Amino acid sequence: MFQEYYMAESVSDALSFLNKGPGDAVIIAGGTDLLLDLHEGKKRTKSLVDITRIPELKNLSMEDGIIKIGAAVTHAQVAESELIWANAPALAMAAKKVGSLQIRNIATVVGNIINAQPAADTAVALTALGAKVTIADTSGTRDVHIDQLYEDVGKSRVDCRRELVTEVIIPAHEQNQSSYFVRLEQRKALALPMLNIAVMVSLEKGQQRFEWVRIAMAPVGPGPMRATNAERILKGTEIDDEIITKAAYEAAAQANPRDSDLRGSREYRLQVLPALVKRCIKTAVAQVVNKG
Amino acid sequence: MNTFKLTFTLNGEVTEVLAEPSEMLVDILREKMYLTGAKKGCGKGECGACTVIMNGEAVNSCMIPAMKAMGAVVETIEGIGNKDKLHPLQESFINEGAIQCGYCTPGVIMSAKALLDKNLDPSNDEIKEAIAGNICRCTGYVKIVNAVMSASQKIKG
Amino acid sequence: MKTFNVVGKNIKRNDALEKATGKAMFSTDMNIPGMLYAKVLRSPHAHALIKSIDTSQAEKIPGVKGIATWGNTPRELFNTSATMTFTVPSMEPVLDQYIFDKVVRYVGDEVAAVAAISEKVAAEALKHIKVEYELLPAVFDPLEAMKPEAPIIHECHAGKNIPAEIVKFGMGDIEKGFAESDIIFEDVFKLPIQKQAQLETQAALAQVGSDGGITVWSTTQTPHPSRMIISKIFSTPQSKIRVLNPPYVGGGFGVRIGLSAKAEPIAVALSKLTGKPVKIVYTREEDFTSSDTRHGGYVWVKLGCKNDGTFQAMELKSALNAGAYCSFSGETPGVLGAMGLAVYRMEHMSYYGHSVYTNFTPSGAMRGFGNPQAMFAIEAAVDTIAERIGMDPLELRLKNIIQVGDNWCLPYTCGSTGLAECVEKAAKVIGWERRGTLNEPGSKILRGIGMGVGTHCSNAWPFCVDYDNAIITVQQDGSILLAVGVPDIGTGTSTTLPQLAAEAIGVEMSQVNMTFGDTLTTPFDIGSHASRTLYAAGTAVVAAGNDVRKQILEYAAVVMKIALERLDITKGIIHISGSNEAESCEGSGICRSGEESMTHISVRELVYHAHLRNKQFIGIGRTIPPNSPPWHAHFYEVEVDTETGMVKVVKVAAAHDVGKAVNPMIVEGQIEGGVLMGVGYATSEEIKISAKGKPLHTSYHKYLLPTAMDAPEIHAIIVESNDPSGPYGAKGVGECGMVLSAAAIGNAVYDATGIRFNEIPLTPERVYKRLQENKK
Repeated sequence: MFQEYYMAESVSDALSFLNKGPGDAVIIAGGTDLLLDLHEGKKRTKSLVDITRIPELKNLSMEDGIIKIGAAVTHAQVAESELIWANAPALAMAAKKVGSLQIRNIATVVGNIINAQPAADTAVALTALGAKVTIADTSGTRDVHIDQLYEDVGKSRVDCRRELVTEVIIPAHEQNQSSYFVRLEQRKALALPMLNIAVMVSLEKGQQRFEWVRIAMAPVGPGPMRATNAERILKGTEIDDEIITKAAYEAAAQANPRDSDLRGSREYRLQVLPALVKRCIKTAVAQVVNKG
Repeated sequence: MNTFKLTFTLNGEVTEVLAEPSEMLVDILREKMYLTGAKKGCGKGECGACTVIMNGEAVNSCMIPAMKAMGAVVETIEGIGNKDKLHPLQESFINEGAIQCGYCTPGVIMSAKALLDKNLDPSNDEIKEAIAGNICRCTGYVKIVNAVMSASQKIKG
Repeated sequence: MKTFNVVGKNIKRNDALEKATGKAMFSTDMNIPGMLYAKVLRSPHAHALIKSIDTSQAEKIPGVKGIATWGNTPRELFNTSATMTFTVPSMEPVLDQYIFDKVVRYVGDEVAAVAAISEKVAAEALKHIKVEYELLPAVFDPLEAMKPEAPIIHECHAGKNIPAEIVKFGMGDIEKGFAESDIIFEDVFKLPIQKQAQLETQAALAQVGSDGGITVWSTTQTPHPSRMIISKIFSTPQSKIRVLNPPYVGGGFGVRIGLSAKAEPIAVALSKLTGKPVKIVYTREEDFTSSDTRHGGYVWVKLGCKNDGTFQAMELKSALNAGAYCSFSGETPGVLGAMGLAVYRMEHMSYYGHSVYTNFTPSGAMRGFGNPQAMFAIEAAVDTIAERIGMDPLELRLKNIIQVGDNWCLPYTCGSTGLAECVEKAAKVIGWERRGTLNEPGSKILRGIGMGVGTHCSNAWPFCVDYDNAIITVQQDGSILLAVGVPDIGTGTSTTLPQLAAEAIGVEMSQVNMTFGDTLTTPFDIGSHASRTLYAAGTAVVAAGNDVRKQILEYAAVVMKIALERLDITKGIIHISGSNEAESCEGSGICRSGEESMTHISVRELVYHAHLRNKQFIGIGRTIPPNSPPWHAHFYEVEVDTETGMVKVVKVAAAHDVGKAVNPMIVEGQIEGGVLMGVGYATSEEIKISAKGKPLHTSYHKYLLPTAMDAPEIHAIIVESNDPSGPYGAKGVGECGMVLSAAAIGNAVYDATGIRFNEIPLTPERVYKRLQENKK
């Protein structure tokens, strides 16, 4: 499967190991996807570089309205974090839906993003939340918006043989904002979603109008897809059922799911998608209203 | 090859064992330590039969490469109680009929222990969530959930 | 009513302590010195000829000790299921498998196996075996496979690709029955392939001695029949073969009645080739692709009824998907018909059913054995008829269910039924009276309640060979050893059978120990399946217990100088009937043997007294079980999300007439587990097939069996009709929880939505599609 397993002590340590013999090593965090791929021969590598013991990557914090989640932070930590529930609830909901507790205790949120599976729950939430990831290589770091992260199914723009995502950065909700996540699933645990939707709403003062809405949906394309046309319809409009419904159907019109033998036909997913988008928007709005 | 000396705390004892980097914790426990309480039901993190507690968290030991266990504190079913002094969970699983074929039992008990170690007042739903990664095909989970509930009462006293 | 000391009590399971502490030994845990590990090369094709196999490269890999193919293993036909050892004449068992053949007939079929010093080396060696295939046309649907143009999978005498026999039976005059009916319902139902998905995969460890003797530890549910099959394959006398569980088995549900797929013969073959012990453990994927499943297929039902709700006639037909090898495909259609026609009283009935070979994973036995398939169709018919004649479906059922003494189609009598009581009790728990009032107009979530009733068997006689033996040896220290050849696959038999023995003899539970699941230490028994172990093996245990008790009392009468008829044994003390002197007398003067004034003596002291006089008490029970119907009524409350098609089972009330609950806690566990397996069957579980015949659901992740979070609230209700034939009134229960889920959930979803689904599982997509069509 692999011959060497290196436990990195710092980001620069990890990067220098990676670049020692280019292409020979790959980053491992929780490893819950990677180990299966290696086991099944879908991926190959000589060495693994484990980053979960790097102290600076274990950070989960909020400062000046910015949430930072380090690359070693697990789904369970996010799902149990009061800070995340209060300031980016869609992410906590998404993190709680992944696999099982045993998986969530090991699998990292950043790993979920990087692995670039089309239905990655936290990636969908983070897309709605407008997150960025910080990528480090030997020459320094750069921030990339999550919208720009995905190339194709199973392929992100992060090269795990050369570089390393150190953290994900999320703007915390303001008083007039909230977010919600729903998942259409065939089983309550240990299942990939048939569809997952995350929505973030920002309301104007008086809570009668949308300021803007971000809608992310998957698996309807290579990575989480923004329902940009639906977002445009809602921007600045009065909040009512009719416009939400219209936007929800617009979201479906933009989605491009595949037929899956395991997780539903394209047709079915397109048909039920609007109902899920509506639920998401309405609940997110209600959450803002409940804040007062 | 790259065989290395794995040092970790296993059921309260500092333990050293030679391991390969690509070996998984479950195989080290079962094949090298002869602790066969953790079962292999799938080898892919999908059934929970191999659940152990590592550094306080329930994990699938089939998904833990040996190095991740380096320096860790690992508890297995063999370490939480014995016939003379059972863990309250073991006691309630026995008393409440929560055990049938028994293949999932060690894993379920370890998941439940990880829960009760943190939360002595779990709701039904919290129990179900904590053991949702442990497939049981025999019981319908009814008596398992009851047993975890009654163990939590017992521990609270 | 008779009061019991041991029976009917929630005695803690004998196996629970070992299982709770992680000490219990399963086949997958076995490890003996010098042991090799086996891995199997499996066919990637649904149907192909093997033109050549080249193992030379694989043999060169260091650590590879032996490679088995069709060329160096016995060319002896067998059937992995126990049917080859217990098909009743005049029917003939179907022998259609070799360990390895020159033809592969499904994706996952065995091609070769490697024994090596580790699983890793064995797996590596598989990659270096070169196989040349010539592809053959394949067929996957049973109806397609019967057509003249379909490829021949095996030559069959009963019809194109039809293994074994076509099962036909009935009573009355079916045409007359329908002619006399006011209302007739007729439809066809399609059933999915379900998987047992037991937690321990198929596994075996074989050791062949230098004298040719064979020992196999394995996951089989039937060690004795398993030994018969191994004996035939390897031409070795049964008396030189020992098959045993070590002693625990991680679930069965029918998947290893006979061999554990091919784990045992592959391990034995490799052990013979290498001269070393060989262990094989199926991966989860292999367990899915290459061990028996539940039969999918088609069931047709036609039910005729008078306007007043009296059933007149029922015609039932089936065509089941056998998969590539016969396994239990001869018997399953028979039980499907027999159980389906045994629920309701009517004069005219007929059944016609069979299986059909296809190029897919073999179907075999799974909990319910055809019965859930039958009841899904029949209970839909009953509910539809009830609606058409404007009758409460509960009342319609009560009006027509079989009563004690009714004439029915089964070759034994209905000696007991508590079905009406089951219906009444479960209806109360679910709140049947709320039916029809559950939904607000315009609600997007629709609720519904549905029910079903049914029966099953308590063993396999007279459908299959079915008999039991039990030996009880009273040890010199007064402890009692019970030997029965059944395993404990998790159903608690290593607790309940000792309970029966303790009750029969009159001793405490703690005095009885049991050896089980081992052909060396036990006499022949057909094994654990068909809801039979407690009822059938239990009958032999009670007979052996009574035999021992009689011997003890006869001896005691002489020693105590008291007439035999006056003596009784209670809690291990032999005493005068009616006297309250059953308390411990250990060590007291009168307890000492030979006392003139002796009024009681412990069994312990008496057997030692006998031992000193050259005598041991050995009880033997040899029984052919009668048979008796357990009965059950299931009620399900469901929610259907009309925006997504998601069906959620909210609450279940499952009442079971088990005759007598020997250990109520164990009985409840059987019901609860069966119910959840049935919920999975009805709503989410299915193995689908790709266009090329590859199974698509081959892991716990893909195959959607319920997790704890998916489990509804389940109320298991025990009803006791005290069957006259069963041990202390007991009947079967093991499979019963599984029989009605699909039927009653189908009816509940109809109640919620007004849509009748003739196909399961009720996946969100399937339900949503029909909801949309219904809107139009």
